Amino acid sequence: MKGKLEPSERERLVEEGKSLKESLVSMEEDLVKLKDELQHVAQSIPNMTHPDVPVGGEDSSAIRKEVGCPREFHFQIKDHLQLGKDLDLIDFDSAAEVSGSKFFYLKNEAVLLEMALLNWTLSQVMKKGYTPLTTPEIVRSSIVEKCGFQPRGDNTQVYSIDGTDQCLIGTAEIPLGGIHMDSILLESALPLKYIAFSHCFRTEAGAAGAATKGLYRVHQFSKAEMFVICRPEDSEFFHHELIQIEEDLFTSLGLHFKTLDMATADLGAPAYRKFDIEAWMPGFGRFGEISSASNCTDYQSRRLGIRYRPSEPLQTGPKKGKANLPATKFVHTLNATACAVPRMMVCLLENNQQEDGSVVIPEPLRPFMGGIELIKPKLK
Amino acid sequence: MSLHKLRLAAAVPVTISTFSSRLFLKPFPNTLTLGLFSRRLQPRKPLLVRAFSASAAVQDIPATQTSESSVARPQWKASIDFKWIRDNKEAVEINIKNRNSNANLDAVLELYENMLNLQKEVERLREERNNVAKKMKGKLESSERERLVEEGKNLKESLVTLEEDLVKLKDELQHVAQSIPNMTHPDVPVGGEDSSAIRKEVGCPREFNFPIKDHLQLGKDLDLIDFDSAAEVSGSKFFYLKNEAVLLEMALLNWTLSQVMKKGYTPLTTPEIVRSSIVEKCGFQPRGDNTQVYSIDGTDQCLIGTAEIPLGGIHMDSILLESALPLKYIAFSHCFRTEAGAAGAATKGLYRVHQFSKAEMFVICRPEDSEFFHHELIQIEEDLFTSLGLHFKTLDMATADLGAPAYRKFDIEAWMPGFGRFGEISSASNCTDYQSRRLGIRYRPSEPLQTGPKKGKANLPATKFVHTLNATACAVPRMMVCLLENYQQEDGSVVIPEPLRPFMGGIELIKPKLK
Repeated sequence: MKGKLEPSERERLVEEGKSLKESLVSMEEDLVKLKDELQHVAQSIPNMTHPDVPVGGEDSSAIRKEVGCPREFHFQIKDHLQLGKDLDLIDFDSAAEVSGSKFFYLKNEAVLLEMALLNWTLSQVMKKGYTPLTTPEIVRSSIVEKCGFQPRGDNTQVYSIDGTDQCLIGTAEIPLGGIHMDSILLESALPLKYIAFSHCFRTEAGAAGAATKGLYRVHQFSKAEMFVICRPEDSEFFHHELIQIEEDLFTSLGLHFKTLDMATADLGAPAYRKFDIEAWMPGFGRFGEISSASNCTDYQSRRLGIRYRPSEPLQTGPKKGKANLPATKFVHTLNATACAVPRMMVCLLENNQQEDGSVVIPEPLRPFMGGIELIKPKLK
Repeated sequence: MSLHKLRLAAAVPVTISTFSSRLFLKPFPNTLTLGLFSRRLQPRKPLLVRAFSASAAVQDIPATQTSESSVARPQWKASIDFKWIRDNKEAVEINIKNRNSNANLDAVLELYENMLNLQKEVERLREERNNVAKKMKGKLESSERERLVEEGKNLKESLVTLEEDLVKLKDELQHVAQSIPNMTHPDVPVGGEDSSAIRKEVGCPREFNFPIKDHLQLGKDLDLIDFDSAAEVSGSKFFYLKNEAVLLEMALLNWTLSQVMKKGYTPLTTPEIVRSSIVEKCGFQPRGDNTQVYSIDGTDQCLIGTAEIPLGGIHMDSILLESALPLKYIAFSHCFRTEAGAAGAATKGLYRVHQFSKAEMFVICRPEDSEFFHHELIQIEEDLFTSLGLHFKTLDMATADLGAPAYRKFDIEAWMPGFGRFGEISSASNCTDYQSRRLGIRYRPSEPLQTGPKKGKANLPATKFVHTLNATACAVPRMMVCLLENYQQEDGSVVIPEPLRPFMGGIELIKPKLK
């Protein structure tokens, strides 16, 4: 229509332009809706799976490693709840009045034990080059979703704050994933390795039965979480580094445990591969999960928008402009539990109990507890 | 640290029919004024009908709510000593005025009288009904029996109505009386902020020979604090601590714990989610427009703003043995505060945040011992802060700055060179029996040794209400402001105070990192 035209020709073109514009507007609207629909549906597609992961349900998980063996007791043992009462360490009853079931107070040496566990874990993991952090425990619900969790819905694990779009975190993995969201990192900055402390809050909606006793399943607990952001080619290496750190920590504490390569039906949507550690809990008479290490590859980074720009290879040649910068890629993210305090406490209390009712403190923790070697029954 | 408690106020029309305990949950503006920064944020407005206020700033009540006719029963009752209030009404009135409270004593006294009269009437009717019932047991003429049956029926109907009225009256009385603040220690200065008295001053402001940075700048330069990422992830007034700041937080808490345990305090960790009724019983206001309290969606639960709340709850509805007292706790928790209504310069950086770690001391004792423990608590705080080399002053807070629960309150304000002024780092309150009457914490005095006839249950000494006290041992972010700003050096590093070094793996200095 920019050229010289007959008026009738011009009129015809104007009409054509108008029709095209209208069609375009409605098709563009349809495109937006379609893209939204596609996004909505595609978000449910789980991450791909590492070829070595066993296919199947719970019973198909493979044992990668087993450390120690169940201690033989020559006396009647107590579970951690009984030890907690007898040694005045744990109070569930007052908490039930104040807050509800699955809440608790720790008292006396149990407080020192929690602090010793966290302090010791921190010092051990820092030695491996992890940066210590504390995190917010209230986050926007969109962050929770981008990490692969479901904040709203009937049986959600997530507490929401009244009147806001905020939630309580169930794990520090969430605020950790959020730190670098919508960012482009330099390749030279990778890997980023964090160890973060936080309190964690979980509704445990839908959890019932024997697997909810005492400290095993609670609404609020302290946890030290490791988080790694790395290049795709390095994630398998760091997955092994993380599980090694966990195994070393739990071996140092004298626990009897097994490391499992979780089968396909037991992976969460984000995990490409997941190693769980289950420790022997004599009071329950079975193994219970004390940690989990997941390689989420690019599942979370694609949602959180965490990219890196590869360093440019050395080359001579014509001057480079912006157009010649290497394209950004998505990072890989991994997360692993360094210490979930209540479950560690179940293990330590139940495994280290003595006939006289006292509990032995594992050696590595003693310097972090002012040298205390034993939790003794108190005179009443 | 003890939150500046709300001042519950009610101006109540003194008729039985127009009450509503919905108004117990009226909006109330932010009262968590900590230190010099956040007072006077609310303009003072004239008192209107039934509102809860702090520093007399009041919200209008929409007309629809005052015409509410259905009565919601209060969820819980405080064991208020109405007789004592009536017998000491002049002192109570003076106290209400000195504290700028909007409690309506006249309404309470009138309701109390009405309640007593109604109670007498109910008892009288009951007795009459019993008499009628007795008479009906004997042999009677049928006309006489009929008359008595009719009388009995009338009495029963009247009784039912009066008993309902009595219940409503008691609820109304409870509702209005709950706003009456605690009495005040005779040595507390009367007046507002400027009347608070300085009890002690320790140290003096450090002289710097170079331009100093505030804690935010130090936090950035030393890669210790990240507010920016937290703003994206959570919102403003949230933060991540990094590197040595994490070690510093842990050292502060570990060191504080070890110091306070030496004084016989039992360490605890507490739930951070509690039922909202517990929050109320401690003297806070969980619901309402400018509440400091985060509520959990779909439940009656809230996040705690201080460990004082779950600590008060441990022994609620209990009778303790005198020999068990005093109970002395030091509790660690994270604390969550909406800081709604707080604005301006007093919100910078770590000074005002939504989430922080705190070590709180809590004492439950006999009434005659609470003054002693108030002094023990403030002494512990002063020793802690002196050991860390802080420059601070201890204030005896004036009447208008006491929260409703506090009989007496000592605040400590420390010098923050980056702000160029003092900021509150701790608060120690003696709440006498204000909280225990609401939480239902009693003790049974030990019996004196005596010979005599065998004692039955009826001879046990009557229970009494305990006294409760609370005091901040360490509020981590504000301590961090003090330590970073006071201990900075010209080269940008920060010196770690000696007592904390063993708890930080021996680190003596936070140095700038190579980039």
